[in-house]
Amino acid sequence: MSGSTEFGTVAGSPAAVPAARTRGLRKVYRGTVAVDNVDLEVPTGAVLGMLGPNGSGKTTTIRMLLGLVTPTAGEVELLGRKLPEGAAESLPEVGALVEGPGFHPFLSGRENLLRAAAAEPHLSTSRIPAAVGAALERVGLAHAANRRFRGYSLGMKQRLGLAGALLVPRRLVVLDEPTNGLDPAGTREIRTIMADLHAAGTTVVVSSHLLAEVEATCTHVAVLNQGTVVAQGELADLLDAGSATLLVSTPEVEAAVDALRDHRIPARSLAEGIRVDLTATTAPEVVETLVKAGVPVHEVRRQRTGLEDLFARLTEDPVDAAELDPTSDPLVPQETR
Amino acid sequence: MTAALDEPRATARRAPLTRLLRSELRMVLRRPRTLIGLALLALVPVVAGIGIAIATGSSSGESVGDGLASLVEGNGLLLPIFGLTMSMTMLLPLTGAMLAADALAGEAANGTLRGLLVAPVGRARLLAVKAFGVAAVSLFAVLLMAATGIVAGLLLLGGDGMLTSSGTTLPFGAGLGRVLLTVVLVTVQVWALAAVALAVSAWTEHPLIVVVVSLGVVIVSGVLSVIPALDWLTPALITTSWEAIPEVVKDPLPTATLLTGVLRAGCYILIGYSIALSRMLTRDG
Repeated sequence: MSGSTEFGTVAGSPAAVPAARTRGLRKVYRGTVAVDNVDLEVPTGAVLGMLGPNGSGKTTTIRMLLGLVTPTAGEVELLGRKLPEGAAESLPEVGALVEGPGFHPFLSGRENLLRAAAAEPHLSTSRIPAAVGAALERVGLAHAANRRFRGYSLGMKQRLGLAGALLVPRRLVVLDEPTNGLDPAGTREIRTIMADLHAAGTTVVVSSHLLAEVEATCTHVAVLNQGTVVAQGELADLLDAGSATLLVSTPEVEAAVDALRDHRIPARSLAEGIRVDLTATTAPEVVETLVKAGVPVHEVRRQRTGLEDLFARLTEDPVDAAELDPTSDPLVPQETR
Repeated sequence: MTAALDEPRATARRAPLTRLLRSELRMVLRRPRTLIGLALLALVPVVAGIGIAIATGSSSGESVGDGLASLVEGNGLLLPIFGLTMSMTMLLPLTGAMLAADALAGEAANGTLRGLLVAPVGRARLLAVKAFGVAAVSLFAVLLMAATGIVAGLLLLGGDGMLTSSGTTLPFGAGLGRVLLTVVLVTVQVWALAAVALAVSAWTEHPLIVVVVSLGVVIVSGVLSVIPALDWLTPALITTSWEAIPEVVKDPLPTATLLTGVLRAGCYILIGYSIALSRMLTRDG
């Protein structure tokens, strides 16, 4: 949606140490390989969207990132510290909402957060009530704070989970499907919160099924399929890499196509313009050629593959994924096996 | 929130232990089934007292039952001891198992264990906090039973001393001491079963499995103890010490037997927590 440019331009500030990094991560559950050979890098300051079909290993990867699950092989570095040794140092600065919000049904929202806050190393006892109040306020739950968690709607539970992740100012916030069960207003609020976190310099990792959601909020994307990362990088680069075409609207379609063909630039005529293949050329070159040939150019725009197309290509069929041009540099194709 | 990262913050590496323990205790004592369980346990000596009072009142002089029960009439301080030893056959072990089941398996099932691990609370520390919660609440349950037992016993059955099963009479103070001793002995045995239950609890996400396995241990152990061919196994069985607890009303006190029971419980506690710890350190959260 409209937010894409806003976040797209503030792409992760280059930092020496990534907020999180995995190398050769592998997890086998009773003979089933859940995650294999995952080399994920979350640049500091980025909002990284983790995409992938159900069972592609998103949650398992996140759980290993947080030290909840011990990898079968490979290593995890969280905020510059290796897990599990560095967990006590790095985890207090990480907020997480994993696999749905976990709370005691018989306690109220506030009591649940007070309990979560009691376990936060970076929260002094005197500041707990204020921190809990602020977190409830921030996720819009202040009015329901004293109701039992049992009676919360799915969306309210999700908000409380988010409040738990935001109890303390964090360097990294990991959200597993944060918009699950939320109404459109709630989804928008989550997006606002993520934008606030991003603006404050917090790195965010968010997994989602909702491609539009990721497209609107993330600066970086990692696509997982069948337990391995099939593509990762900046969102804008990934989208550009997928589509090397330029749409030119002009009333003189024939003349435009001819002019380009003379310069060995492949182009096709459309109803009100032409589509130019950019694999062998660049956009300025195309425009220059057209203008020199006297073709009136009304509008030129790069055709972007939606994230949906990219996602479909990467995940629907392994053969399709392999066909993805390996020379397009921003894409980081990972060896599948 | 832009300034959030610059806020001064406590940079302690770990949350204070007392804060964690208090939070754990508050949570366990807010859980509805804990409260219902405690209320029912508190009623046990009262109901037993009323039953004995009615029975002795109607069939004047006739013995109410065997063993401790027959001693209780007109002997109020024996009621809490009777209530506790009677509950040791099933109700108190069940309570310990339930507390242990909720402590790890229950928290894993509703996702709250994950929250604590990510906070982070170190895994060994988390087990210690959980063990404390189980131990404190089971001690509280036993103390509560003793208290209602003393009050009900003195009100319903009366008595200013304690008639021991050896025929001697102890003064009130010494009798009260025996009640407290029973509290200690029973609590330690509940802790032993709770340790076994906590070991199971560390392995599963299903609280029901913990309760079933724990009660299975109690029942199997009880069955094995009555098979004469398996006499050699008796010293290792968890229930052996439980059967010795009623001896607390003997005069003089059979110190050696009671001490052996405590040692046996200690072994179970050690083994239980070792297993629980080894599992906690590797468990997937």
